Amino acid sequence: MTPPIVERVLRPLVSLKLTIACLAALMVLVLACTLAQVKLGTWPAVEIYMRPWFVWWDVPGTEWRVPVFPGGALVGAVLIVNLLAAQISRLELSWSKAGLWISHAGLVLLVFGEFVSGALQVESQLAVEEGQTVNYVESPRELELAVIDVTDPAMDDVYSIPAARLERGGSVAIPGTPVAIQVRRWFENSDLTQRGPTDPPSPVTAGIGTSVTVRERPPVSRDDMTNQAAAFVEPIAGGRSYGTWLVSNGLGAVQSFEHEGRRYELQLRSRREYLPYAVTLKDFRHDVYPGTQIPKNFSSLVHITNPSRGEARDVLIYMNQPLRYEGKAFYQASFGKGDTLSILQVVENPGWLLPYVSCVLVAIGLIVHFAITLRRSSKRRQAPLEA
Amino acid sequence: MQRQDMTRRASPGGRVPALMVLCATVALTACRGEEIAHYRVPKPSSPPAGAAAPAASSPMVPASGQVPTPPAPVAGSRLAWTLPARWTESTGGGGMRYATLKAPVEGRIDVSVTVLPGEAGGELANVNRWRGQIGLPAMDAAALAAAREPLRTKAGTVSVYDFTNDAGAKSRVVAGLAVVDGNTWFVKMTGDAAAVAAARPDFLRIVESLRRDAANR
Repeated sequence: MTPPIVERVLRPLVSLKLTIACLAALMVLVLACTLAQVKLGTWPAVEIYMRPWFVWWDVPGTEWRVPVFPGGALVGAVLIVNLLAAQISRLELSWSKAGLWISHAGLVLLVFGEFVSGALQVESQLAVEEGQTVNYVESPRELELAVIDVTDPAMDDVYSIPAARLERGGSVAIPGTPVAIQVRRWFENSDLTQRGPTDPPSPVTAGIGTSVTVRERPPVSRDDMTNQAAAFVEPIAGGRSYGTWLVSNGLGAVQSFEHEGRRYELQLRSRREYLPYAVTLKDFRHDVYPGTQIPKNFSSLVHITNPSRGEARDVLIYMNQPLRYEGKAFYQASFGKGDTLSILQVVENPGWLLPYVSCVLVAIGLIVHFAITLRRSSKRRQAPLEA
Repeated sequence: MQRQDMTRRASPGGRVPALMVLCATVALTACRGEEIAHYRVPKPSSPPAGAAAPAASSPMVPASGQVPTPPAPVAGSRLAWTLPARWTESTGGGGMRYATLKAPVEGRIDVSVTVLPGEAGGELANVNRWRGQIGLPAMDAAALAAAREPLRTKAGTVSVYDFTNDAGAKSRVVAGLAVVDGNTWFVKMTGDAAAVAAARPDFLRIVESLRRDAANR
């Protein structure tokens, strides 16, 4: 028999009303998140409604934030506890309930899988032109200030300072080099215009930024808009300043300075993750139905070169047929530049199999439960006949 | 190739109270994603001829390997034009200029082609900047629409503006702007009103001749 205190704790947790409340809350969250995506774009809306434990409201005119609704994470966690508690306290451990046990396990796994994706999934892009070889993927939402020692004729030493560090300002020492970057100002979004005679003075003293005026703009988050970030940075090496530079992901120029015979480039760009293998785009195809402009197929024929595995092979990536390689899935996502540029969406998610497994479990559980019920029912019908 | 994530300074050893562990965990979580990473990688392979690397989804990513001034627009979206007789041009010209054109007229005159990424502040801001350069007050969006003279070219429609300041020494600016593949192109002629008036017909012919040029400059 269950101790009374445990039962008192378990009773509200196993309540079917709690399940209904959670499902209703999820419906509200999905609706609110979908509507918010119109203004905010997919990711910010998901970060506000689905990923956190609470949906917060900024009290106007104050610095206060108050929780106004449970977030997706909290609802998901409560739902998991509710399912587990119901399973433990209500379902008897018998073969006749096997189907329900399997289905519940599948549901728990489904919600758990979303936590795994939320915590561990990394999305990036690989943009490659026909004939070009690329050994990195880029984050579509994060930036980095790359300080690149390009002195070596064969290899580059890339030091990546995340934008999150630049936002804090101050001095950033680059380990392993005599260089420190003093961040004078950070603009999350900006307009760059050619400097006019009436423009206010600029702190920039070196590089192409001396002829550019930077104007701060409110950040944007919609999927079809990009922030043009900018920063005033001052490289300091060996106690010597190399001037204040403008860096921006909107500047089409690479800027560099030289310190004690070593040349360093400064680039504010999409955050890169370098791969231990390289991808060459051999051919991109954008097929249309004859006589129309309606797309029929997009495909990228790529060549993978992985020296660590002694591997060199061609792979065709096309719609719904991603390349899964070394923990990453490469999907055909976009294209450009007169069908010579292919953009692959790269997803790294250690829990990518969990939703599939959970769906299979739920389906198997329901089939098993149906079969058991059918067998029981047919036995019941047969009993009076035999009598 | 190797990747070396720079390690953070660890807390001093010894017995640390649970609260401090919690605080450290919270602090590390807050700072997560701010580490400076180091990669030693082979130099990037050059894109094929005529390509300049930026992705369609991130048109602002700079091409690496050179120090171009002005910034190189995306290959294939570069513009070309036809020069009238006796006009000359030189590439660049300082600042963010793409090209400087020389008009065969007397007097103070400057003709430039500039390309900037994105909307470059927008049409209204740029037009008001030009007006400010010749001492004219800023205009609003309605006046902007009235002043705009659209000119159809092979590179798309170019919005042409013509402003003259009659006060004192007469100054005039005739300029067109067009957005091509995410870059904003400015073709601008400014200077003494008389010199600009003399060069205006040829200047408009240049604007009319704008077209995409896939070839490398």
